[in-house]
Amino acid sequence: MYTCGIDIGSVSTEALILDIDESKNYKILSYVVNKTGSNSKTAALESFNKALTDAKINRNEINSIIATGYGRVNVEFADKNITEITCHASGVTLIFPATATIIDIGGQDSKVIKIDKTTKKPIDFLMNDKCAAGTGRFLEVMAKTLEINLENFGDIFLNTKEKVDITSTCTVFAESEIVSLIGHGVAKEKIIKGLIYSIADRIISMISRVGLEEPVCLTGGVAKNSGISSAIEEKLGIKLSIPFEPQITGALGAAYLAAKIDHT
Amino acid sequence: MGMQSLKTSVINNVQNNLNTKFIKKLLRFISVKPVINLYGQSFKSIADRYLNIYSIRYLNEVYSENYPVAYGSLFLPYELINGLGLKPFLPEVIGGFTAGLGVSGKTIKTASNKWYSSDLCTFHRSATGASEMDLFPKPSFIFSSNLACDAACKSFQSFSRKYGIEKNYYLIDVPYENDKESLHYLSKQLENIFYDVSEKLYKKPDIENLKKAINYSNEFRKFAIEANNIRKQLFDYPQYFNGLNFILPFFGLCGTKETAKLYKIMRDELKEKLLKQDKNKKMKKVLWMHLKPYYRNEIFNILENNNCRVVFEETSNIFWEELNPEKPFESLAGKMLSNPLRGSGENRINAMRNLADSYDVDGVIMFSHWGCRQSNGLSRIIKDSFNRQGIPVLILDGDCVDINNCPAGQIKTRVEGFAEILNSV
Repeated sequence: MYTCGIDIGSVSTEALILDIDESKNYKILSYVVNKTGSNSKTAALESFNKALTDAKINRNEINSIIATGYGRVNVEFADKNITEITCHASGVTLIFPATATIIDIGGQDSKVIKIDKTTKKPIDFLMNDKCAAGTGRFLEVMAKTLEINLENFGDIFLNTKEKVDITSTCTVFAESEIVSLIGHGVAKEKIIKGLIYSIADRIISMISRVGLEEPVCLTGGVAKNSGISSAIEEKLGIKLSIPFEPQITGALGAAYLAAKIDHT
Repeated sequence: MGMQSLKTSVINNVQNNLNTKFIKKLLRFISVKPVINLYGQSFKSIADRYLNIYSIRYLNEVYSENYPVAYGSLFLPYELINGLGLKPFLPEVIGGFTAGLGVSGKTIKTASNKWYSSDLCTFHRSATGASEMDLFPKPSFIFSSNLACDAACKSFQSFSRKYGIEKNYYLIDVPYENDKESLHYLSKQLENIFYDVSEKLYKKPDIENLKKAINYSNEFRKFAIEANNIRKQLFDYPQYFNGLNFILPFFGLCGTKETAKLYKIMRDELKEKLLKQDKNKKMKKVLWMHLKPYYRNEIFNILENNNCRVVFEETSNIFWEELNPEKPFESLAGKMLSNPLRGSGENRINAMRNLADSYDVDGVIMFSHWGCRQSNGLSRIIKDSFNRQGIPVLILDGDCVDINNCPAGQIKTRVEGFAEILNSV
């Protein structure tokens, strides 16, 4: 059977089509990562249609659809909504079955999910509260302020030895702090190193609250930034697992769980 | 005009005419028998209906200027205040009402403009703002205690200054330990207050009236225990019944005939539901700790829609022994000292664990209200304590009064995520 998972985040929308048999063996037929933009309904529909085209199947061949992510309630054509907490747990444990902890850093929120190793289901979670500090959006704003492409942050982090501490957690105040540091002639590379460590510190604080248990998997768009993953690995003294496409684990989990929907 | 649109119209009118004159006029209008009966019909639970009618009548009396009004913080022995013939007015509870009426934005802003810190709990901030806007009736007496809530001692002192009645402000000092010496110390304070207030009211101390209040309190306690016992087996609740709506009668109107009657009604209504309920119905059972948001929100609908039900609330717990009307001050002191929020955090943890056992809950939600340090400070220990028993806990950070400090989307994801965990077990 074919199923679909759609994950609508604040920054990106992912749609994924899965071919899954009765023994739960599965194959990803297609996946799409799009910008959410101002209209999450449109983003969901466009991503779904693109995923169908890529998978070379028709809408009526899809058995069931699950929507997840903050915009899940806006996907009117979905059969069911499930939170990203459960969907990430499902998706990640398909790729890395032994995972005990997931760190997901998305556009506007970050979360830590603790997984029961036997049932592969979430048993506890923590999400960032109200403020977007330590998320993808925070990094985007800082990259713009520094006038450096965000994609280069990883290499800069790895190749820079010194850092300056960024003390402000608020995105707006951190932006002012950076402008001030640049004004004082501090090298942008050192600022980037400090910024990445500040995000890692916030994430590690969340992990501490939930309780670190290995293996740990890092997902979400920010997982593509090698600086962030390296900083977290360095601070925790562990090696993180990162999926081949860290943005699709929510949609993958949603598509996998969609196979359980009984239409009778 | 349908009942719902009448309610909306009342709320809109309050929002647009936020002044005491209008509040008084509105309360007088709603309190008229045909209007209040019509208003009562909008509540589907009988206990809820009685509660709302009774609350409006009570507020009408408080605002009527015909009675001496006493401000009080939440954890006071209200049998004493009601026994003195004072009309209790609970600013913290009214702070919750401001959220329900959609005016807490204005009251909180007013408090902020007067330099009240945004770190202060919004029950107090909203109440302080409302008081600064002269929306409250003028008090003759003010009472607070240091039981659980430290903010109350300070904000109630502010009220006493605002109304120029510093000499009529009584701060009850509740000792940390619950022992004989504490009981004596506390009961003496209550006794002194009783005689001092009677003198200030120019009346003979009326111990018989206090005994009457204590008897009503015992009646309420008995019915509440019976209602709570029924809830141990009940899934089929009267629509819109929520134990967290009964804060005013449970605390402030304790020791009145009406509260005793309310809990009798509640017991009977729940009993009837229990007899008729589908025995095969199974839902995940949740214990709710602390209070809830009092503005319009979806938390309880989300739980219901995800096969979860709040089967008991921390605030519905009858933690005290039956009171002895022949020893009123000692009994009331004993009631205060037996509050699980007094003293070590272990008292609260043990009480909550007992409730979790009694109600056989699958999970616990602790609402972590902004600024309420007496509660939030314990959240880690509470979570660990329940987790050791295999009971999942959601610490739900938010705000009971300020909707802007409690993003609906984030709350929805957390509550749904927690419900998914409970349902997956």
